Amino acid sequence: MALLLISPFVAIYGLIFIYPTIKMFMISFTDAPLIGAGDWVGTENYERLGRDRRFNTSLWNTFYFVVLTVVPGTLVALAIALGVSRLNGRLQALVLALFFLPYILPVSVVYRLWDWTLNFQFGIAMHLFDLIGMDRVPVFKVTGWFMPAVAFVTIWWTAGFSILLFLAGLRSIPAEIYEAASLDNSGRLSTFRNITWPLIWPVTALVLTIQLILQMKIFDQVYLFSTGGRANDNLVLVYYVFQRAFQNNQGGRAAAVAVVLFMIVIIISVLNFQLTRLSGNRSK
Amino acid sequence: MLRFKSLAAGVCLAASMVTTAALAEETVVWWDFLAGGDGVRMKQMIEDFNAAHEGDITIDATTLEWGLPFYSKVQTSAAVGEAPDIMTYHASRIPLAVEQGILTEITEADRQKMDLSEADYAPSTWDAVTNEGKQYAVPLDTHPIVLYYNKDVLGKAGLLTDDGRPKGLDSREGFTATLKALKEAGITFPLGSVTADGNFMFRTIYSLMGQQDGELMTDGEFLVGDNAVKLQNALDVLQTWTKEGLQSTYTDYPATVALFTSGEAAMMINGVWEVPTMTDLHAQGNLFEWGAVELPVIFDHPSTYADSHAFAIPANKGREMSDAKHDAVLEVMSWISKNSLFWATAGHIPAYGPVTESAEYKAMEPNATYSPLTQNMIFDPKSPLAGIAGPIFDVMSTYFVPTLNGEMDPAEAVKEIKFELNDM
Repeated sequence: MALLLISPFVAIYGLIFIYPTIKMFMISFTDAPLIGAGDWVGTENYERLGRDRRFNTSLWNTFYFVVLTVVPGTLVALAIALGVSRLNGRLQALVLALFFLPYILPVSVVYRLWDWTLNFQFGIAMHLFDLIGMDRVPVFKVTGWFMPAVAFVTIWWTAGFSILLFLAGLRSIPAEIYEAASLDNSGRLSTFRNITWPLIWPVTALVLTIQLILQMKIFDQVYLFSTGGRANDNLVLVYYVFQRAFQNNQGGRAAAVAVVLFMIVIIISVLNFQLTRLSGNRSK
Repeated sequence: MLRFKSLAAGVCLAASMVTTAALAEETVVWWDFLAGGDGVRMKQMIEDFNAAHEGDITIDATTLEWGLPFYSKVQTSAAVGEAPDIMTYHASRIPLAVEQGILTEITEADRQKMDLSEADYAPSTWDAVTNEGKQYAVPLDTHPIVLYYNKDVLGKAGLLTDDGRPKGLDSREGFTATLKALKEAGITFPLGSVTADGNFMFRTIYSLMGQQDGELMTDGEFLVGDNAVKLQNALDVLQTWTKEGLQSTYTDYPATVALFTSGEAAMMINGVWEVPTMTDLHAQGNLFEWGAVELPVIFDHPSTYADSHAFAIPANKGREMSDAKHDAVLEVMSWISKNSLFWATAGHIPAYGPVTESAEYKAMEPNATYSPLTQNMIFDPKSPLAGIAGPIFDVMSTYFVPTLNGEMDPAEAVKEIKFELNDM
C-alpha cells in the first residue's frame, strides 16, 4: 500500500530527474549534437576541458561571481533585516515591501532597468558620474566592471527573499532574552554578538546555502547583460553549457560541462552544509 | 467480422474525404521573429493574404523573440514534430539547420508550383539559400546595412554633392575628411556607430573585409593567409575614427538611433530596417531631411554585408506534412514573394526581381538609391558556425567591442580572434 501511494511521486521524480541525469552522464561520453544520438568518444569531452579556454574563463567567472554575491548578499540582507525589525506596524510593512519589491520583478525587467540606468550616453547613473567629476564607465562592456556590476544588480534583485527569512528568524527569538540582556546592562553590540548572531545562525546557514547553490547556477543576468558585448569574456558555467549546446550544436561537450558543474555543486553544498553545522555547534 | 470492420473503415475514410473536400480550408501555422516596424508590415501582409484566400487558406501567425531564442525553439520543436508549417529564417543560419536536418528541401516541382525560379533572384541571394546545390528556403528580401545621413547638417557644412549625397564616399581619405569637416562644424559625433554591440559591428567590419576581397573562412579554416591582415585593416580604420573622436563610443543599438534622430550624430551606419523609423518621424515633422546610401568605399571596391529573410518549411520529425498542406504553404511563399512591394516599405530590398524592377519600386526613396548595392553584396561564410547569433558572432563581439573603443590593439584582437575561431 505504501509503495502504491508513493509510486506517483517516484514515477515523476524518475522521469523528470533521475532519467535525464543518467542520460546527461551518458551523453557526455559521446559526440552527440543538440538533437539525436552520437558516437561513443570515451572521456575525450572531459580531456578537452583542461585545454579549453572558454571553460577556464567560465569556471573562474563562476567562482568570482559566487565570492561577490554569496557572503556580501547575505550580510546586506541581515543588516537590512535588523534595521527593518526595529520598525513597527505600518511603517515596517511599508519598508519591507519596498525592499521586497525588486524580488518580484522578472529578470528581463531587471535587465532593462539597469541597462538603461547605466547606459553610456543616456543613463541616469552616468549623470551622477558627471556630477562627481568621474569619467563615464561603460559598465557592462568592460571586463573589470562586468562581474561586480552584475553581482550588485543580483544582490539588489534577490535580497528581498533573504530579508524575509532573516525577519522570520529574528521574530522567533523570544523577547525575554533581550529583556534579560538589557537588565544585565548588555550594550547593543554585545547583545548582537552574544544573542542575535548565535540564535539566528541556523537561518544564516540556510540563507548561505540557498545563495551558494543559486549563484553557482547563475545564467540569466550574465547572458542578458553580455549579449552584443564581450560575451566570451563574461562566460559562466551554465552560459557555457548553453553556448555549447544551442549555439555550437555540441550536445556531448555541453553535457560534459554540465556534469562538471553538477559535481561542483554537490561537493560544495555538502562541504558548506557540514561546515555551517560544525561552526553552528561550536558557537552554541 | 473482419470484413465488416474494413467496410466500416472504408465508409469512414470516404466520409472524411468528402468532408475535407467540402471544407478544404487549410490552416498554415506560421512562426516569425519580426517584432519591429517590419513586423507590423508583415502582419498587414498576412491579413491581406488571408483576405485574398478566404475559404481556402488561413495563416495562423505567431511572432517569437528574434535571434537565439527563436532558433533554439525551432531546433527543438522540429526534433519532436511540433514545429510550424512555415517559418521565417535567416539565410545565414541555413548551413547549421541543414546539418541538423530540420529543413525540408524545396524541389524543382515546388518551384514550378510557386512559379518562382532562380532567374528571379540575384545570384548571391540565391546562393545564400542553397546548400550543396539544394534549395532550402525562399528568399523574401535582403537586408544590408547602409549609410544614413542628415542632409540639413551636411548641406550647411557644404559636404553634399550636387545630387545630394555625402562627399568623399569613394575613399578612406575622402570619407575621413568629411568626418573631420563635420567635427570642425561643431557636430558631437560625425558618425554614429553601434560600438557597444560587437554582434552588430560584425556587419560593418565584414563589409570592410569584403572591400579588400577578404575571406573569413577558406576551406573550413578561419582567416587564412593575408585575410587576417585584412581584418586588422578594417579594425584599424574604425579604431582610428574612435581615437580622433569622429564616432560615438560604447553606443548600443537604441542609443545610436537616438543620437542620429536627435541630430547629435550627423551620419549613421545601420540596417535598412531603420528606414521606416526615419520615414515615420519625417512624416510627423519630427525629423530633418535625410538620406541613405550604399556604404562608402574605404578600401578597393564597394562591398556590403547582407543577410536574407527567407521562408523555410521545417522538417517535422514523425509528422509528415499532407500534400494539401504543402501546397498551401507553397502558395503562401509564392503570394508573399510576388506581393513584396509593400515589404519594401520596411526598408528591406525585396529578393524577388520583378518587384525591384517595377516602376513603383523605382519611385520609392531612399530604397531606389541604395538598392543597386545588391550587386556588391556578400553573405556569411557557409558554415554551421556562422549566422546571426551564432558562435562566430560571439567570438568577434568579444574582441570587437574593446578594439572599436580604443582599448585593445587591432593586431592583438586579430590574433585572439583567429585563435578562438580555429579553437571551436
